[in-house]
Amino acid sequence: MDRKLGIMLFAAVMVFSLSCSGCGKKQEDLNTISVWHWMIDRNKALEELAAKYEQQTGIKVKIDLFAPSEAYTQKVVASAQAKVLPDIYGILDKKEIFSAFIKGGFIADLTPDFKANNSEWENWFFPKALDVNRFVEGNVYGVKPGIYGVPLDVTNIQMLYNVKLLKKAGVKAPPQTFSEFLEAIQALKRVGVSGLVSGWGELWMLDCFSSNYAFNIMGEEKIMATYRGEVPYTDPDWIKVLDVFKQLVDKGALLEGVVTKANKYAEQDFALERAAFAFNGSWCVNVYNGMNPSLEYGVMLPPAINSNLPMKIWGGAGSSLVVNNMSPRKDKAIAFLKWLSEKDQQTYLAKETKNLPSNREALAEIPEVLSSFASVMDQATHPTFWALNEDPIVSEVFLKGIQSILIGEKTPEQIAQEVQKVKQEQLSKKKK
Amino acid sequence: MEGSRYKAIGVVKSVIIHSFLMSVALTCLFPLFWMIRCSLMTNQTVFTDKTLIPRDLHFSNYIQAWVDGGFGIYFLNSMVYTVSVVVGIVLVSSLAAYAFSRLKFPGKNFFFGMFLAAMMIPLPGSFVPMYVLMTKLGLANTRIGYILCMISVGLSVSILLLKTFFDKLPHDMEDAARIDGCGRLGIWWHVALPLARPALAVIVIFNSLNVWNEYILAYLLLNDTSLMPLQRGLMVFQGTYSVDYPILMSGLTIAALPIILIYLFMQQHIIKGLTEGATVQ
Repeated sequence: MDRKLGIMLFAAVMVFSLSCSGCGKKQEDLNTISVWHWMIDRNKALEELAAKYEQQTGIKVKIDLFAPSEAYTQKVVASAQAKVLPDIYGILDKKEIFSAFIKGGFIADLTPDFKANNSEWENWFFPKALDVNRFVEGNVYGVKPGIYGVPLDVTNIQMLYNVKLLKKAGVKAPPQTFSEFLEAIQALKRVGVSGLVSGWGELWMLDCFSSNYAFNIMGEEKIMATYRGEVPYTDPDWIKVLDVFKQLVDKGALLEGVVTKANKYAEQDFALERAAFAFNGSWCVNVYNGMNPSLEYGVMLPPAINSNLPMKIWGGAGSSLVVNNMSPRKDKAIAFLKWLSEKDQQTYLAKETKNLPSNREALAEIPEVLSSFASVMDQATHPTFWALNEDPIVSEVFLKGIQSILIGEKTPEQIAQEVQKVKQEQLSKKKK
Repeated sequence: MEGSRYKAIGVVKSVIIHSFLMSVALTCLFPLFWMIRCSLMTNQTVFTDKTLIPRDLHFSNYIQAWVDGGFGIYFLNSMVYTVSVVVGIVLVSSLAAYAFSRLKFPGKNFFFGMFLAAMMIPLPGSFVPMYVLMTKLGLANTRIGYILCMISVGLSVSILLLKTFFDKLPHDMEDAARIDGCGRLGIWWHVALPLARPALAVIVIFNSLNVWNEYILAYLLLNDTSLMPLQRGLMVFQGTYSVDYPILMSGLTIAALPIILIYLFMQQHIIKGLTEGATVQ
């Protein structure tokens, strides 16, 4: 009986193995490009474009979606170790990891393709969009200077206004200056409408807003000088930056609870017309469309305080794709990415996915709200492009200090002194 | 007089215990209720309608979730994976646990220790080596590769649970079976396994739940959409920046249904299996 049972068990295992292995690996030909991405909302549009590309060229493009981004990142790392990366993929990690992939020979240098025909391909893009994928001469990562990725779209963070609520308050045009903005807030208050909402419970949103005003009030040079320790945070210009938040509180410009609000809740507030202004990124077009398709809103730069300096906003490449340097279909993969960044495809992607195109020529044919976002891409900046970044400990004290101002706990002067004290401590630690 | 006093105390105790249990049950059931409630709304009313039962019920969300999420193939895949993995784990772990419990062989404690040590390694920590191994074996992007990995993931706990259970089984029954002509495999099949039914129920439910809800390893090992499990379908409704809540909730309800059914069918064995398997004689 034991023998019979043993044979039965063995047979079961064999049948199971054979039935499963029947669904095994398929051979891929040299005319099929494989693309791995994580962008759920862009998957359908990418599949449509892939079908169109196959019709035009006969090259099949297989689009594979792996989300969420954490799972995608793990898959890319594991595939790199097993040397089975697809022809086209994206790096979602920090620039250190990006550079490690380049040095490991997993990412193709696209500089010759971008520079060909008097930089024809490079000139299609917003310069800021390419900066994320660019390694400059003498970069700290030790990577050969060049461009290693193709931006699919761009993003930036600005202010939004609710057309209906401004009309209700009698505000005829969106405010251009900070004083006009405060006047608009008073008008809104008179008709019982809250002013500004943003996800300032997330420190990076607060960092972005304060950085916008720091650029407008004192300019990049002075900010960098502060980071180097040459200008103290007690400087009148830094007090002015902190005072922006005090004025917002004093004038009752903020929706209640903004200091602890996560951005997704702030997005709900604006979409459901609980506030007339929002400080949010270009991805909000998608979000607002999902929550309230009839929402009427426009895009504006944060209202400036200093008319002598431009208002800089945070922005850059949204999503980028790279080409596997070890792929036997490398040239075909590059050709597909070039086709994908052409004006027609970029317009299609922007219309379908409501993201900003990375090709500047596509601006004319996309929805107005997206066009407004993208039109100021040249004013975009981002900490990753700066020559220097502030010490993270100092930054945290600065941003938490702003939260203290927002809850009326401390004054701008007190925060400036506290930040400067920490800055000096950090500087002396570095000297040691 | 004394009797009615005791009766009154009994009633009060019962009311307190039942109130407590009902509040715990409500806490557990409320998220399920909320999921079903949201699955019948629209993306706009999810944020505005505060009523417990929405005014307009959108049952079409379930059809949309099934079609847009491509649930047909994913559902089938998840069924295949869950059944194969659970059968594999029950088979291998019961044989291994029986051997660890009853047989004497060199290195027995060392090998058992190795199985227990495997429990200490967090799953994400083993992803990369597992993927590299599967790629080298030519099993990446295959159903068998994923099934084998998932069996390996579930073995340690199942072996521990069953070994503890088998350790407690009286030897007399095995002796009686041996007198009746049973060999080792016969005893395992005819005596040990039927007696271990409560522990097996726990293993089935825990591993079913684990395989049904798993997606990270599937994403890592599988490339073809046609091989993906049900959880892949749910991801479609979570955009990079925005979420289609009603459709997502409809998908979650569909995905949760089989597991709730398995739990309902096997619940009588679970408590028994857990308590008996958890205590060492």
